[in-house]
Order: sequence, then C-alpha cells, then structure tokens
Amino acid sequence: MSLIIAQRTNPPTLALTGRLDTHTAPDLDKKLDDVLHSGDIKQLVFDLTQLEYLSSAGIRCFVRARKFIEQRGGKVAIVNPQPGVRKVLDIVKAMPSTGIFGSIAELDEYLDEMQRKVRDGE
Amino acid sequence: MQAVSNPTKPPRVAAFRTVRARMLFWILAVTIPIYGAAMYISYDAAARRLEAGAERDADELAARLAAELDAVIRTMEGGVRTVAYQLEEVDPPPAQYSQRILGILGAWPDVYGSTIAVEVGDNPKARSFAPYHFRRDGAIKYSNLALDSYGYRDLPWYRRAADSKQPVWSAPYFDTGGGDIWMVTYSVPFFRKLPDARRVLAGVVTADLDLNWVHDAASNASLGPIGMGWLSSPPNGESFIAPIGATSERIAAFDPSMNQAAIRNAGEEMLAKRTTFALLPTGITAAPAYMAVRHLQTLEWRLMLVIPQSELLAEARTLLTRQLWLGAVGLILLMAAITVVAAGIARPIHALAESVGHAAHGDDLSFQLPDKPRQDEVGVLTEALRRMRNSLQEHIRLRAESLAEQARLERELEIAASIQQSMLPGSETTINLPRATEVAAALIPAKQVGGDLYDYFTIRDGTSRDGNLFFAVGDVSDKGIPAALFMARLSALLRVLGAGGELPDRLLTAINTRLVEGNDACMFVTIGCGLLNVESGRIRYASAGHEPPLLRNLEGSVRTLVAENGAAIGIEAAAVYQLGEGFVAPGDTIVLFTDGITEAETESGALWGVERLTSLLSEAPNGEPAALVKQIVAAVSAHASGFHVTDDLTVMAVRFAPPGVATRTDETSTHWLIEVEPSPTGVKQAQQRLYGILAARSIASERIGDIELIVEELLTNIVRAANSESRSIRLTLDCALTNENVVLTVRDNGVEFNPLKPESPDLDADIADRGIGGLGIYIVRQLADDCSYARVDAWNVFEARLARRPH
Repeated sequence: MSLIIAQRTNPPTLALTGRLDTHTAPDLDKKLDDVLHSGDIKQLVFDLTQLEYLSSAGIRCFVRARKFIEQRGGKVAIVNPQPGVRKVLDIVKAMPSTGIFGSIAELDEYLDEMQRKVRDGE
Repeated sequence: MQAVSNPTKPPRVAAFRTVRARMLFWILAVTIPIYGAAMYISYDAAARRLEAGAERDADELAARLAAELDAVIRTMEGGVRTVAYQLEEVDPPPAQYSQRILGILGAWPDVYGSTIAVEVGDNPKARSFAPYHFRRDGAIKYSNLALDSYGYRDLPWYRRAADSKQPVWSAPYFDTGGGDIWMVTYSVPFFRKLPDARRVLAGVVTADLDLNWVHDAASNASLGPIGMGWLSSPPNGESFIAPIGATSERIAAFDPSMNQAAIRNAGEEMLAKRTTFALLPTGITAAPAYMAVRHLQTLEWRLMLVIPQSELLAEARTLLTRQLWLGAVGLILLMAAITVVAAGIARPIHALAESVGHAAHGDDLSFQLPDKPRQDEVGVLTEALRRMRNSLQEHIRLRAESLAEQARLERELEIAASIQQSMLPGSETTINLPRATEVAAALIPAKQVGGDLYDYFTIRDGTSRDGNLFFAVGDVSDKGIPAALFMARLSALLRVLGAGGELPDRLLTAINTRLVEGNDACMFVTIGCGLLNVESGRIRYASAGHEPPLLRNLEGSVRTLVAENGAAIGIEAAAVYQLGEGFVAPGDTIVLFTDGITEAETESGALWGVERLTSLLSEAPNGEPAALVKQIVAAVSAHASGFHVTDDLTVMAVRFAPPGVATRTDETSTHWLIEVEPSPTGVKQAQQRLYGILAARSIASERIGDIELIVEELLTNIVRAANSESRSIRLTLDCALTNENVVLTVRDNGVEFNPLKPESPDLDADIADRGIGGLGIYIVRQLADDCSYARVDAWNVFEARLARRPH
C-alpha cells in the first residue's frame, strides 16, 4: 500500500496510484518540489483515476500546489477522482469546484477553451 | 521348544478300546460260539450214539429174557396143550386124570400145581370133578377142588378158557390160598366129540406156574454195566415186578426212594404212545433218567429199563469235558496269539503316537521316526507321518520366517509412522509460528501410517514483518502404506513449493502437475490450503476437492469458508483451482478437517456430520484452537466409540490472534482493542488491522474507506502532537461493532486536548492559514454520524460513531 507517482507532460500531469495519506504525502511533496521548481509552470493536473485513498495530509499537497501555481496565475486541475476521494475533496472544499474534472477529455476541452479565450481576449 | 520340558505322552487308550481288546473281543466273539456249537454237536452226537447203544442193549436184553421165558413157558404150554389134546382124543376116565396131572408136575418143576376140571354142563352122566395136585414142602399133595365149596366153574381160570374155547393165561396173582407165592395160571379147554361130529366142552386143564422162577431168571440176567431193569406183568391185574440183574443194588445207589409202580405206569404210557426209549418225566426219579420199554410176546410181559442219564452220558460228558479243556487251552493259545499280533500292530502305532505326541504342543517337530519302516500298513503310516513332519517343519520354518518378516514390517511401519509423524509440524514449528497465530491440530491414523496430512508454516516475505501463515489439510484417497507414501510426496511438495510463498491456487496447480505425472496407482488427494496474512488477517484459500473449512468468528457464529472447489489432486493434469479471498478478524478461528471427522460412524451408521461440528464450534466458549481440537476429537471418539476407526481423523484449528489486539464481546457488540504504536508506522499498522476487521465483517468498502480516514486523521493528529512535544504516550484504538454501528474509540494519555473545541475551519480562508489538524478533525466530523470527547482519568477519549452502512 503505497503511492506511485507518474509524471506526464502537456499538460504537466502527475498521475497518482495507490494511497495518498500521512505516509505517502511526503513523497508527493518531494515530487511537487521538483515539478514546481522546474520552470515557469502555469498548469498542473493531478490524475486521480488510480488513487484509492486520500487523507487530509494528501489534500495539503494539492492545496500547496494550487497556492504555488495560482500565485503565478496558473491553474491546478484534478481529474477523475474516485467516489471516496471525491467525497473527501468535497468535504474539505480543497479545490474550487471548477478545478475538478470528471475525465481527461473534460479537462482537455476546458483547457482548449481557456487557450481560445486567452487568444481571443489578447 | 523349551517351554515344554516334559513332552506329553499320547493319551492312554481306554483298555477296552485297544486294538488288542477289539481283536480279542471280535475273534473270541466269533470263535467261542463256533467252538461251542462244535462241542455241542459232538456231545449231542455222542449222546445220541450212547442212547442208541442203550436202546440196542435194551433190545438185546429183551430178546434174551424173552428167549429165557419162552424156553420155559412155550414148552409148558405145549405140554399142557398135549394133555388137553390127549384128553380129547383118548377121553380117559377121570380116574386117570391124576396120572396125567402128575405127569405135568413131573415134567416141569416150575409148575406149582395142576388140575383137570371136568365140565358138567347138561351132561347127565357127568359130575363135578377137579383133581388138583400141587407141591408143598417138597411133596406133592392132592386136593379135589370139586369137593369143597370151591365152585370152580365160576372161577376166572376156568371160565375164561371155557368161554373163549382157547388156551388162556391168567394175570399173575399172589396165591394166598396155600403157597404164598406169585403164580400165573395157564388154562386150556378140551372137548368131546359127539357122534354128530359136534365138539362140546369137556373140561379145562390148568397149570399154575410158580413165578419164583421168573424172579430167578430176571435176577440172573445180565443187565450190562449201567441202568436198572424190571420184568413186569401187563397192567391189568395184580402187578408182578421182577428186578433184573443188579437192579436192587443200583436202585439203592441211584435213588432209594424210587417208586416202581410209578415207573411201571410211565412205561405203560410210553407203550401207549408207542415209544420205546425216552427220558422219564421229572419227578419219577431223583435225577434225570432214560427209560426203555419193551413189550415181550411172552405173556404180554414188559421189560422196563431205567438208565440214569448221568451214567448213560458219562462217556459223552467225559468227552465233552475233555473237549472243553482242549478248547480252553486252544482259546488261551488263540488269545496269546492275538495279543502277540495285536501288540505287533499296536506297539509301532503307539510308538509313532508317542513320537508324534512330542509335536502336539507346538513347534518341536524333531521327533524321530523309524528309519526302516515296516513293510505293512504301519510302515505306510510311518512314511505318511514322515512326509507330514517334513512338510510341517517346512511350513513352520516358513511361518517363522513370515512372522519375522511381519515383525520386521511392523518395526518398519513403526519407524514409518514416526517418520510420518515427524513430517507433521511439531512443537519446534510452533515456536517458529508468527506470534499472530495460534494453531492446534490432531491426526489420528486409522492404521499405523495414514494418508491424512496437515501442515502449517510461516512464509516470510519482504512486505510484512511477520509474513504469512501457510496451512493445509489433506486426505489421500486410501489408508496404509500407499497412502502414507503418497502423503509423504505431497508433504514434501507442500513444503518445497509452498515455502516460496506461492498463492494457494497456483500451489495446488503446481503440486497437481507433479503428482499427476506417473500416478499409475491412481492415488489422489483432496487438500485445502490457505495463506493467512498475519498483518491484515487477509486469507487466501484454495481447495482441491476438499471439504470446505469452517470459520468460527469471534462472536461465535460459524460459516463455511467458501472457495471454488477444484478437482482432487492427482487425477487430472489440466485441473484448475480458484483462489478464494477474504479476511478474518482477530479472534476468528478457521477449522480444517478431513472426512474422517465428519464421516465418523457409529455402529448404527449415523455419521457425525458437519452439523455437529458446526454446533460444537458455535457453542464453544471461545475459539482457542487447542481446546477446540481436543473437544472435536473427544466428541468424534465418543460418537464412534465401540466402533473401529475406519478412516484417518485430522482436524486443525488456526486462530488469528495478532499481538496488540485484544478482543472482547458483550451482548450487543464486539470489541477489538488495538494497541497503537505512537508513530506514523504504528498508525498505518492500526489502519491495516482495522481494515482487516471491517472487511472480515463485510463492511462495505466505501464505508471502510470512511472509517480508515477517520482513524488516520484522529491518530495522526495525536501522534504528531506527541512527537512535537517529544512526549511518549500510550495510544489505543477500540473498534466496536454492533448490529447497526461502528464505534471507534481513540484513547491517549497525552496532554488534554479536545479536538472538537476549535470551530470548524474556515474553508474559504486561505488554506495556509488554517490550524494544523483542523482539517483532519473537520473531515472526521463530516464523516461520522456522531463525535464526542471526554477526558477520563488523564486520558483523552474520543469517540466517533457511524452507521455500518452509509446513509
């Protein structure tokens, strides 16, 4: 019972598999340090499709990432949380409801929309 | 053989059953009657011969006597008749009658007296006249019978002759008139010729014969060496009896009281029956005697002879006695010969019996038999005995060998049994058991070695501190050595393949592949095996045709540990086994068994059955394996008591009892009190324990997630607080299950802290500003139906309650 973190790019994504709890949260924190300081990152997606369990320690990681990126005008999105995990996210309202997507496709659609807005608006 | 120091003799044959006795009996039984018959015939023939001789003697005597009597009587008859004839022819004057009478007296000295009596009749010239001359005192006297009142014409001697006109003899009579002697009178009539040629009676001439003469003649007669004889007058008239020969002396010697008259009567009876020789009727003589009777022509007299039987047959008896002696000697010789012959038969037989008798008591067959057997039936018997002895010796030798072989097999079986016993986990393996489990097992083989098997051992792997407990119970399709050997292979495979931590289904497949190979004996085994994770209580189980184990949970209810049953091992190479998965909670006990338990039979055929096992388990006070196993074995034994065990019995109980978890049940709830190590690792372990408990009690996985989260948040907060203050605390988690709820109670003896006191975090505020722990408590309060806090005796007691099923 541990956490596996898979990193993908475009958009930068951390896919979490397993349990994100007091024990594994430090691993994610460490990974986030690498990711967040690797450059000018404006977007970060947590793919929670494979995440089974989430405790408050894990939520803190998400909040930390969100704080860091949003300060730079970026955005953090959570994709496809399982019901148990979704329930915890809902309880603590750790993410704005606009930041949680049911699937990668939903997220892609959203991101495309954002880019179009940026292009159109500027 | 040493045990029989005094070899018993053959039993004595009852004396009357011996060969000798039988031969004596039968030979004598046949010989003696023949002997007896021969002697009787011989004696009888001798007696007949003697009797015939006696008859002949009687005839001779009769002839002699008759001749002697005739010599006197016939001549006297002739003389008297001549006188009568002369009287008729010459017709002398009566004066000359005396002259003629005297002539008669002169001619026959035995004539006592004589007369010529004249017939008067109707002759006018005649007058009574009867001159009688008789002897008296040596002189001849005269008397005229017509002078006295003696009316002679009416007297018998005259009348009979006159009437019959024939010469007649009178019966003997005893003359009392003058002579006092026995006499007999001969009367002859004479006639006168008339001119017309008629003859008329002229008178009667008589002569009185003195019978003394007869006495003399009789007593002078030679009687022969034995017997007594009498000459007797005919029965009419007075009886005259003259003893013959030495009769008088012999009577005195034989029977002084002999009644002569009775003898005479007997003789007359014999004559009436025309018998001449016979035994006298008893009673007449003192001793048995023969009687011979002869009727003499002379005067109709009788000759009677009485011959004592003993005397007549003395010769025959002497002969018989001699024959008896001879026979006795012969019989004695015969008996001696029989004895010798019988001994000749019986002695070798007896000797054989005595020799063979040595063997009667057992294995000592070294008895001696004659080297050169006789050329008879005994020899044949001896040869047969020798062959029997030899083949018995051979048989006994083979038997001893086979007994030795059997004993060796027995020893080998004992060794095999102990080896087999050593294949089962013993106390040394118990020591190596993970602390989290308690195991007890019993295996009672029906024979010395059995086909049942149980095994358990720890498999350590990298992922868990204590690892897994592997356990298995199997039942080979047979009993005895083949089953034991098969079981040994199985046991080895289980150890070798199972030690690698292979999951039960794959383990069974691997074992099956190996055991199917070359299984020409078509043995098979049913086996159930499982892996119990001693950390979480996770159990993985697979079964190859074996009875499903029973699971007695802490609360006392019993259910079957379900697993898809595959084919028994050893039958089908392509058999597939399914893995069944589940959890057991601390305090739960898994009971595995073989059909020897459930199919234990009473004599009436009632099986013990799974039902009894189930109720025994649920009624047991707790799931303590050793006690359960003991109880089950006792119950099965009691059930099948008095009936032989037909199958191996195996029962194994595994209780999941991880350290640091205390269990308790009361009427409404079951408690698991988990000692939590106050560290992140400890929290994780506690979470795992709890997960196992909840999964074992079929709490929905979503709800388990909630509970896990609550526990993590609560415990993490406490641990973090303690760590930050570098305090060492005690921390426990109690999980209580009721029918509806799950109640989690966290106790710690740290600084008093009521997590419910802070207000709910302002979630809209910047998250970085939120207090440590506040988020976790918030989650807990959101997930639980009810939360409470109390400070009890320096302990923080936090309780969260939530329904077993989410709303």
